[in-house]
Amino acid sequence: MATITCKDFLDRLESWMEGDVHSDSQAHLRNCPHCRSLVDDLKGIRSEARSWGAEEAEPSARVWASLRSQLEQEGLIRPADAAKTTWFGGWFASLPRPALASAYLTLLIAGAFAVSRPMSRPSNEARWLAASQDSTMPLRAQLIAEQNSFASFNNANPVVNASLHENLAIVDNYIALCEKSVQEEPQNEVARDYLYQAYQQKADLLAQMTERGENNR
Amino acid sequence: MPEAEAIRLAQQGNAAAFERLYRLHNRRVYSLCLRMVSNTAEAEDLTQEAFLQLFRKIATFRGESAFSTWLHRLAVNVVLMKLRKKSGTETSLDEMTEPDEDSGGPRRDFGTLDLRLSGSIDRVNLQRAVEQLPPGYKAVFVLHDVQGYEHNEIAEIMQCSIGNSKSQLHKARMRLRELLHEAVRDKAREDRKAASAESGSED
Repeated sequence: MATITCKDFLDRLESWMEGDVHSDSQAHLRNCPHCRSLVDDLKGIRSEARSWGAEEAEPSARVWASLRSQLEQEGLIRPADAAKTTWFGGWFASLPRPALASAYLTLLIAGAFAVSRPMSRPSNEARWLAASQDSTMPLRAQLIAEQNSFASFNNANPVVNASLHENLAIVDNYIALCEKSVQEEPQNEVARDYLYQAYQQKADLLAQMTERGENNR
Repeated sequence: MPEAEAIRLAQQGNAAAFERLYRLHNRRVYSLCLRMVSNTAEAEDLTQEAFLQLFRKIATFRGESAFSTWLHRLAVNVVLMKLRKKSGTETSLDEMTEPDEDSGGPRRDFGTLDLRLSGSIDRVNLQRAVEQLPPGYKAVFVLHDVQGYEHNEIAEIMQCSIGNSKSQLHKARMRLRELLHEAVRDKAREDRKAASAESGSED
C-alpha cells in the first residue's frame, strides 16, 4: 500500500471529515500521532458543536410585541377587528346586497343574542354557557339548513362558484373558532360579539349564494 | 394552522398568520443570531429585524425555496451586515472568510501543534473560540456544525457554491482548533504564574 505524507493527508483532510475515507489515509493515521491528534480535535469540535445545537433558546416576549407594533405601523398587518371585517367586507363590497335572505337571518341572530345577553350574574359560567347555547343552537341549525338548501345552487362561472365555496369554508372555520372561544369563556362579551359577527357573515354569504343561484336559473 | 396556510394568509395581511409564522421559527432564528453575536439583547434585535424583513417581503414569496431557508438567508444577511458595521468596513464574504496570514488565517503547518485538545473542548471554550472567528467562517460553522444544515442548504442561504461551503467549514474548524490551543496554552501559562507566585509568597 502506498504511504502518504502528513502534507498529503492534510490535503485530503477536508474530504476525510466529510466522510470520504481512503485506505492510504487510514494507514497514515494509524502511524502518525500528529495527524491522529488533529482528526481527534476536529471531531471533538464537531461533537461539542452538535450538542450546543441541541439547545435552543427563545427570545423574550418583547420581540414579538415590538415586531407586531412595527408591522401595524407599516400597515403590513391589520389589527384583529379590521382584519375580521376586511376578510369578508372587501369581498362583499363588490357584490350587490340581497336584502331578504340576509335580513331574515340577521334578525334571527340579533334577536337570539339580545335574549341571551341580559344576565344578572355573569359569574355563573354554566348559566352563561347554557344561555348562549340555547340561543345559538337553533341559529346554527337554521344556518346549516339554509346552507343545505343552497347546495344545489351552482353559479355558471366556475371561478365565482369556487370563490363562493372557498369563502364559505373560511367563514365556517371562523365560526368554529368563535364557538370554541364562547365555549371556553361563555361570560366573555367580546367572544360572544365575535360569534355574532361570524354568524352575520355566514348569513350574508349564504344570501349572496342564493342570489347568484337564482340569477343562474 | 399549517405553515403553507399561514404563509398564504400572511400574504393577505392576516395578523394571526404572521404570529403563527413567528412562533414556528423564532427559536431557530434567535438561536442562530445568539450564536453569531453572543449577546442576548443584540440577538433579539437581529431576530426582530430578520422577521421584519421577512414580513415586508412575504407577498413576493412564491415557494421556489423552502420558507425556512429563505428566512435563514435573511437572518444570516442581517447578522453579517451587523457584523460588517461593527468592524467598520464593507467587506465581501470572501474577505470575511479568507483572512490573510497576518490576521490569523488557518495555517497549514499544523505539525507545530502537539497538544491534544481532548478534555479542553467544552461549551465555554468553544463559544469563546467561535466568537473570535471571522464572520463568514462563523456563519458556515454555526449553520453546519451547530444548527445542523447540509452544505446544499448553506449554499442556498449564503448564496455560495457547495464546494465553497465545505471549504469554509473546514477552515473554520481548523481556525477553531488553533484558537482552542491558544486558550489551553494561555491557561497553562496562567497556572504556572499562579503557582510560582504562590511558591514565592511561601518563601
